[in-house]
Amino acid sequence: MGLSDGDLERYSRHIILREIGVGGQRRLLAGKVLVIGAGGLGSPAAMYLAAAGVGEIGLADGDEVDLSNLQRQIAHSTADIGRPKVQSAAETLEALNPGVRVNRHPGRVTAADILDLVARYDFVLDGTDNFPAKFLINDACVIAGKPFSHAGIIRFRGQLTTYLPGRGPCYRCLFVQPPPPEAVPSCRQAGVVGALAGVIGCLQALEAIKFLAGLGGLLCGRLLTFDALSMAFREIRVPVRENCAVCGPDPTILRPSDHEMAACGLGE
Amino acid sequence: MSAKAPLPRPGATLDITDAVCPLTFVKAKVALEDLEAGQVISIRLNDGEPAQNLPRSLKDEGHAVLGLTDNGDGTFALLVRKGPA
Amino acid sequence: MDISISGETRTYGPGTTVAQLLVLEKVETPEYVTVAVNEEFVDAPMASDRVLRDGDRVEFLYFMGGGRQWA
Repeated sequence: MGLSDGDLERYSRHIILREIGVGGQRRLLAGKVLVIGAGGLGSPAAMYLAAAGVGEIGLADGDEVDLSNLQRQIAHSTADIGRPKVQSAAETLEALNPGVRVNRHPGRVTAADILDLVARYDFVLDGTDNFPAKFLINDACVIAGKPFSHAGIIRFRGQLTTYLPGRGPCYRCLFVQPPPPEAVPSCRQAGVVGALAGVIGCLQALEAIKFLAGLGGLLCGRLLTFDALSMAFREIRVPVRENCAVCGPDPTILRPSDHEMAACGLGE
Repeated sequence: MSAKAPLPRPGATLDITDAVCPLTFVKAKVALEDLEAGQVISIRLNDGEPAQNLPRSLKDEGHAVLGLTDNGDGTFALLVRKGPA
Repeated sequence: MDISISGETRTYGPGTTVAQLLVLEKVETPEYVTVAVNEEFVDAPMASDRVLRDGDRVEFLYFMGGGRQWA
């Protein structure tokens, strides 16, 4: 793929890096990343993917922008309140980098469509804000053999890890099944410092960029945790769970399901 | 430059007198990436920052800087041999 | 005996089990915490009578879900 003079200039700061170079930038331009959740994590992640020249970016979200989102969901602006997040974020990405193709996937991702959706992409980012979705994304990526970045934030703490098929634990290895409703606080109840979403979301984007460009050091088998109060990053080495229900040798989860969402009162 | 064996003839040329740093380096890097190891390229570049910075940058990339010749018109010809992969 | 908990060294009496540690460390929502000792998961940690030993490295993995509890 030939790079235009405009591309050479736009991506010059990447190309200068030995570890990326022209070859790496070409790989980014040919890459496809799906961002599920255009909110706190998805906003900065998707923006940096577009800035990096990831050729195709999918945005999946069923929500509309509301005022309380704007404290951290920086792909949206005040004028976007009431608009679908997918549309608002897509426009932000397209303005940032018209050379990137942004696919809009409006609506909540469900078990019925997630396998077809992830199949179209090279790497998936979990930017969702609820546990059933996180388990759904995990199961779909394990079943489809797609690498993905998992992350979560609450109050002043965040964490992330990267699933590489066949090479390390999946999210279910770590957490087995979703907790019941109300068992674990949500940001709406407990709060979250806005800039934390930027830190963790950008780390997710870095993982996707490193994957596409063929760089090493991905968080496979490692859970990176961050405490914004102490500014401490910690790394926890995590093993594959021997009898994991989805990625283990005798899986019982062979298809993604929304059962867990139904069980916890979706639509109440 | 001291008198030595004559410089090899380039198999490729590149003109970056229309670019400013760091784009000069980027374009040179791209051109070199398309060559085979051992191939020689002559790069026409402006006096000033490019002539001062490019030789060192390309050497750091693993290529061999064979010579820098003054064209007499404010530009230079930089002869570079692509390093091993 | 000295054990490391989330990277910090703590001293506990010999014979302390994983289940006791969850109580002593005042772990929040212990029913929903994943416990790993020396990079191995401990099943049903609240009921675990696995005895910790000097030099063991314990990690607690917490659910972090995001902005909303359920869909």
